[in-house]
Amino acid sequence: MTTFYDEVQELRARYPEGSRSAVLPALRLAQERHGWLSREALEETADALEVTPAFCYSIATFYDMLHLEPVGRHTIDVCTNLPCALCGAQEVVEAFESELGIRAGETTPDGEVTLRAVECLGGCGYATVVAVNDRYRQHVRPETVPEILGELDGGT
Amino acid sequence: MAEHKVLLAGTDERDLTQLAEYRAIGGYRGVDKARAMTPDALIEELQQANLRGRGGAGFPMGRKASLIDRKSPKPKYLVVNADESEPGAFKDREVMAKAPHRLIEGCLIAAHAIESTDVFIYIRGEYLAEYEILAAAVEEAREAGLFGDVRITVHRGAGAYICGEETALLESLEGKRGQPRPRPPFPPIQGLYMAPTQINNVCTIATVPAILELGAEEFAKTGVPSSPGTAIFSISGNVVQPGNYELDLGTPMRELIYEHAGGIAGGRELKAVIPGGSSVPALTPDQIDVPLDYDSLGAIGTFFGAASLIVVDDRCCMVQLAIRSTKFYAHESCGKCTPCRVGTRWMVQILESIENGTATHADLELLDSVGDNILGKVLCALGEFAVYPVASYLHKWRDEFVAHIEQGGCPFGNSSSLDGILAPSDMHAHTPAGEEALV
Amino acid sequence: MSTELVRVTIDERDVHVPKGTGIVETALAAGVEIPVFCYEPRLGAPVGACRMCLVEVEGMPKLQTGCTLTAQDGMVVKTARTSEKAAGGERATLEFILVNHPLDCPVCDKGGECPLQDLTFRYGPGNTRMSFDKLTFEKPIPISPTISLDRERCILCYRCTRFSESVSEDGQLVAANRGALSVITTFEDLPYTGAFTGNVTELCPVGALLPTQYRFEGRPWEIVEVPTVCGLCPVGCNIHATVREGKVKRILSRNHPEIDEGWICDKGRFAYTHLRAEDRLAQPLQRLRRHGLEQVSWEQAIDEAERLFRAARGRIVTVLSGSETVEQAYALGKLLRVGLDSHQATLPEEISGGLDAYRLPLSSIRSADVVVVLGDVPVAERAPVVDLWIRSARRNGARILDDANDPAVAEAERVVLIWSGPGGRGSTTVAKLAEKLGLAEREGCGAFYLPETPNGRGVADAWAACCDEEGGPIDSIGLLVVSGDEAAADENVRALAEQAEATIVLSMFGGLSAGWADLVLPGTSYLERDGTFVNLEGRLQRLRRTVTPPCPDELEWIAELAARFDVDVAPYAAAVFAEVSERVYGGLAFGEVGERAPLRGYPEAQEHVAREALPEPRGKPRRRSEVRLVAYKPLFSGAAVERVTELQFQRPQPELELSPEDAQRRKIATGDLVTVGSNGSAITLPARVNRHLRAGIARVALEHANGLQGIVELAKAEEVTA
Ligand SMILES: Cc1cc2nc3c(=O)[nH]c(=O)nc-3n(C[C@H](O)[C@H](O)[C@H](O)COP(=O)(O)O)c2cc1C
Ligand code: SF4
Ligand code: FES
Repeated sequence: MTTFYDEVQELRARYPEGSRSAVLPALRLAQERHGWLSREALEETADALEVTPAFCYSIATFYDMLHLEPVGRHTIDVCTNLPCALCGAQEVVEAFESELGIRAGETTPDGEVTLRAVECLGGCGYATVVAVNDRYRQHVRPETVPEILGELDGGT
Repeated sequence: MAEHKVLLAGTDERDLTQLAEYRAIGGYRGVDKARAMTPDALIEELQQANLRGRGGAGFPMGRKASLIDRKSPKPKYLVVNADESEPGAFKDREVMAKAPHRLIEGCLIAAHAIESTDVFIYIRGEYLAEYEILAAAVEEAREAGLFGDVRITVHRGAGAYICGEETALLESLEGKRGQPRPRPPFPPIQGLYMAPTQINNVCTIATVPAILELGAEEFAKTGVPSSPGTAIFSISGNVVQPGNYELDLGTPMRELIYEHAGGIAGGRELKAVIPGGSSVPALTPDQIDVPLDYDSLGAIGTFFGAASLIVVDDRCCMVQLAIRSTKFYAHESCGKCTPCRVGTRWMVQILESIENGTATHADLELLDSVGDNILGKVLCALGEFAVYPVASYLHKWRDEFVAHIEQGGCPFGNSSSLDGILAPSDMHAHTPAGEEALV
Repeated sequence: MSTELVRVTIDERDVHVPKGTGIVETALAAGVEIPVFCYEPRLGAPVGACRMCLVEVEGMPKLQTGCTLTAQDGMVVKTARTSEKAAGGERATLEFILVNHPLDCPVCDKGGECPLQDLTFRYGPGNTRMSFDKLTFEKPIPISPTISLDRERCILCYRCTRFSESVSEDGQLVAANRGALSVITTFEDLPYTGAFTGNVTELCPVGALLPTQYRFEGRPWEIVEVPTVCGLCPVGCNIHATVREGKVKRILSRNHPEIDEGWICDKGRFAYTHLRAEDRLAQPLQRLRRHGLEQVSWEQAIDEAERLFRAARGRIVTVLSGSETVEQAYALGKLLRVGLDSHQATLPEEISGGLDAYRLPLSSIRSADVVVVLGDVPVAERAPVVDLWIRSARRNGARILDDANDPAVAEAERVVLIWSGPGGRGSTTVAKLAEKLGLAEREGCGAFYLPETPNGRGVADAWAACCDEEGGPIDSIGLLVVSGDEAAADENVRALAEQAEATIVLSMFGGLSAGWADLVLPGTSYLERDGTFVNLEGRLQRLRRTVTPPCPDELEWIAELAARFDVDVAPYAAAVFAEVSERVYGGLAFGEVGERAPLRGYPEAQEHVAREALPEPRGKPRRRSEVRLVAYKPLFSGAAVERVTELQFQRPQPELELSPEDAQRRKIATGDLVTVGSNGSAITLPARVNRHLRAGIARVALEHANGLQGIVELAKAEEVTA
């Protein structure tokens, strides 16, 4: 099997020599492997990209999809920006909160699910939009929340 | 008037994500036509078509191509802006999901015009399904030998609205923090990797094949003279049938809202329309008899923007609307330039004091003045995007703001449709330093 | 930038400047100040972040940032002085910057020398309209033992991070987060480490990044800035010593565009506290019977010195450090050579005038097409600022090579050679090379040797010039005169002392001379001396006494002793220099050396003293198991650094650097224990694979080398123990 280092070299090859363009793909790859961007993950990525861990950290903290704290095995991102908000996104958030017994921004004690409110996901016409493990669920309403949670493998 | 599908033509009848299906309706013929022309002739054609950028600024696509420093010894780049993150906008996404090859064909044509062999499509990280469809389509077209010496790389963002701003996008694509660059130098002279670069929105590029099919002259006759062609309008909020509708530019806004989108949901009253995505000045119900095109909307003091209408009914508190909108722009501010970084946070604080009834009349003037101090002083328009809508709410619904102050709180009680709405910035920041900063 | 002149109008004043000149500079030329925070040309292209410099430009609807504009012909610019619109922009920006800025100016070390304070005073609002919670952060936090960060004061101009990314290129100090939550930080709160970190404390336009040593040490109106030159390495960066109540409180850069461009290293900036080291000597020490060293009066010490000198006339050997001033070396030489017929002296390295024909200002490295760096000692360890010039050359597109035979060298127009040890024979070696390449007459070409001593050249010239006689060889050492801390710390010198009948040590620190000296005369620091130094460019520079030493200046007692041997030595630098100058510097007057000294030519290269230079590690490894071990003297080492607690974190890790090739061949990964050894002695250290190291070379800091040098066996530790 190819090592992380090799895969990153493969990513670097897609961009001009000496550019740092591979940093986002590489960080995403590291996050897939470690679940989140731990100190080790960032150091590993920095080494493969021949940059400093500080540089990787600086980049990672700029982008919302890169996690600098552990997240659950599943992530549930509820859009609460205007269009969804106008169509009841708050009730959807609260439905997830009560079903999971956590507040938005938290992870269930068993480390299974992380619930977050997020900015516009670009599905405004199909409110409320919820990204379940980065896959969009549209027209989500409080009633559909239990079903969504049920579908999570080994769901809570 | 019915929809007029150009970018989405054929998507109802066929699965245009398949190369064969797309070719069956004449797909990729434009590439051959284009390659039979000299770059200069092609650029001339594009300029004639007067296709205006769909990303917001409305700058003519052909003009932009003509500005590319093609004599430069450096490689030329074409970059497609697929970062679509403006609240209310979801049109680029539909093009990529339903007609990816039309976008790719547009890329190949535009690349030929600016003599580029390197194309990057920067797609927002959240669009996972769309990324997979587009990447597969690129692969299929490449294997079919349609690319010639052109290379198309689909590059995923990772969650930052600012990366839709063209120079921030370039920085992000170069592997840096997505912070805008000072201009000049402009991308056509010094863009990606310091080389001449053409940047266009997904819908702009996906319209290019139609220009070659119809010919610039014919194309220029569609839509309205000042803005030819069609646009995919995203309409969302309190309407019966929200969604995307591809219409000729110049279609009346009332028609879109009341015919295509079926009017206001639940028999409520129309209160406001934010016509270009959440970043533009809102319109009052008496302002919606306006043609949907760049100049007409400009004439009534708002913007065409991302052709994305957010329809707001009478249950909504305008102060809460302002808070939620400003929290978004504050959260997305890149932190590079002072007025945007500091001003947006300050605006949130002022608005919240108005909402919770601790503000005075002077705070309304302060809100206005803080906005003025951001306008025209920022490095990129994000800071202004925070101000435009809020300024319009404050002026057009001033009574509502005043009522908050005089009643010492929200006149809607808890009945506003946005009551208690949570924003990501209410949750957490990345570092402990950040968390403390929240208190 | 072209040389074509263009006309620009600023606030109704016309100026003519070269096309492309920055508008901030153009305005200055017109006598108009455009206030800036983030703008700092030494950090590369402008970023237009702070928005302090907003101006109105005719024909442009929006306000523009002056810092990102360049002069075009006919451009009409209105600053806040003449444009209400621009003034509005200026007020707006200043208010925004102050919205979250804490009002702790009274306890801020930047207070009184703070650009934000000054601009607020001049153009700022009198009151604040911010009635809500300001951003708060934990403060101040140490980003290293030498630098404190106050995030509440930070205005996010990104000067510090741009320095880290594109000047020192260490990539350690970065911005994290977005928007209002943006902060400056290091990775995982690790200390900001490296040769140049302290520069960010001078770049920071507010009190966010401050030198911890200076915390609460002085207010601007209580201090004086004394211009002098750093004496800790051969670059000779121009510095200011911040002095309060007779104490050095801080070292600042003093931009000499040809030498340092305003960057100085952390040793030069933070090591000054060695002046107050615990074992600093003020009184002479004399060995009384066999009791060991005891304090004696200066009279007694001088008498004793006179006695030892007389006893050893003609048989005195002097070990120089190369850190003496030209004047000290000359005076001492005159006393010993003219007065006591003792001519033999040694320096830690060979000094030759061989490179005089290839002189260039350091700044010209930046415009080279090819820079050849020879030798395996990291440049930053020997002559830190030279490393920055090489980096900026690379950023300008120069190729940096390690082999003078590379075809690119022959093809290139502007070639610069740099020798970076090991061994003391550099100057001759490079001179030969430079001659072979015919660099002598070629525009922009030149060669540098990075010596181990800060003033070896000056000392050698002075010693050679102070007497016309020449002494023959001597059979035994009657008296060994050890001059300076470097010599006193040198193992070989102590060994030499064994053979001497008596030893006099001139040193700042008791710790160095205890045990083996018969007489110890307290020495002074470069910060306490008046005189001259010659740097690695061959540039003669002026040292100033920034504070009075706790002991008499060397020249005073040398002069007194000299008198006892009927030798005429003046007790002050100006007069001594006049004498040296007659013989070496073409009669240049002390006063003419200059605050920012130019690079002058020498009339005539002198004949030089030299100790048998350290053997240059020759020969390529023969067996595959062998490598050449380079044990280098780290930047952060030496008598001064050892006495500064805050700098200990900067000292090199005990580790052995390997090339990827040598590592792979032995299946060694970073972190693995490796053993290197030759005939008997061996050391075992963790390995670090360094992509930039040549195959066949292994590198270790001298203090971890345990005396090993040259060809050694290298193996993974297990294999050896197994
Ligand atoms: C804050 C900000 C966000 C933007 N976001 C987008 C975006 O998501 N998609 C887009 O196409 N253009 C966006 N733009 C506009 C781009 O900067 C640029 O004008 C556009 O991509 C040019 O393409 P066009 O000429 O085809 O419209 C944004 C601009 C700003 C200031
Ligand atoms: S710490 Fe100082 S230099 Fe760095 S960004 Fe903040 S204000 Fe600028
Ligand atoms: S000095 Fe011009 S923007 Fe900072």
